[in-house]
Amino acid sequence: MGKRHDQNSNLISNLELDRRRWLKLGVASAVAAALPGTLLRAQTAPQACAAPIPQNHEPSNGGACPYPIPWLDKNGNHNQIPMPNVELSSIYHFKGRLARCNGFHGMGTDNHGNRLAWGAPSTDYSYMAGEYWAARQAHQAIFAHT
Amino acid sequence: MFKGPAVPANQTHDFHSPISPEGLYWVTPVPASGLTFTADGKTATLQMANLSIIDQPRWPAMDAETNPAFLDFKVVFRATDEAVSYENAMQQFRFEGFKASAQLEATIRVPSIDFTFKTDPLETSKCDFAVMGTEVNGRYYESGK
Repeated sequence: MGKRHDQNSNLISNLELDRRRWLKLGVASAVAAALPGTLLRAQTAPQACAAPIPQNHEPSNGGACPYPIPWLDKNGNHNQIPMPNVELSSIYHFKGRLARCNGFHGMGTDNHGNRLAWGAPSTDYSYMAGEYWAARQAHQAIFAHT
Repeated sequence: MFKGPAVPANQTHDFHSPISPEGLYWVTPVPASGLTFTADGKTATLQMANLSIIDQPRWPAMDAETNPAFLDFKVVFRATDEAVSYENAMQQFRFEGFKASAQLEATIRVPSIDFTFKTDPLETSKCDFAVMGTEVNGRYYESGK
């Protein structure tokens, strides 16, 4: 009897919860419909950055692509003009051959015959050839900064 | 690329690789055949053809529009005999190598605006700073000592 009472209580309680859930859902839907589009877009953007859920019991070790030097972000980006005594690699956890240059400049011609200057103090090229670490393992590759 | 003196106000094109999802600025994979060294290791040639890039004239504006573009380029680095070593234990990087010269020639195509540009030959270009050598950073910094 007591058990049935408990079951009835649970049933009533569950119905009450369901009613509350529906009420909340209705209110939430109404509020969501009234929200400006920009706010809704702001909420969806981080989802695109969410780590993928592995399928078919695959392991989860992160992406195999190289990533930038974390502390280079002082300017809100991961680009730094090469010069003496600064980090020259674009890639973090890297070892290998590297060359870098900047301040390229010269002249050229466009398809209309116009002579144009190209290059700027920040025009730089580099290569990074060797090993980098990502996805919990070493990778061999060559990259260029263009 | 500039129309007139090379100052930001005169910039008409800015060609570079896209920023990767990981946040790498303007870095692109290179096939093994794209980087060659002379036997003494003192000259390196980085060369790629038909590389997909973007033209972003109003970079670095956040809303700077892009046009797909294609780049053929050749960069030649030549090491001098002047050794350099840059190391920062706090930032965990160490570069050891030589000062170098570097020269570039390139051809760029932006089909959507019917624009092509070809630089003068490699020998006519100049750069302000160049080095070539080896580097270790991050997790490889301590183990590379």
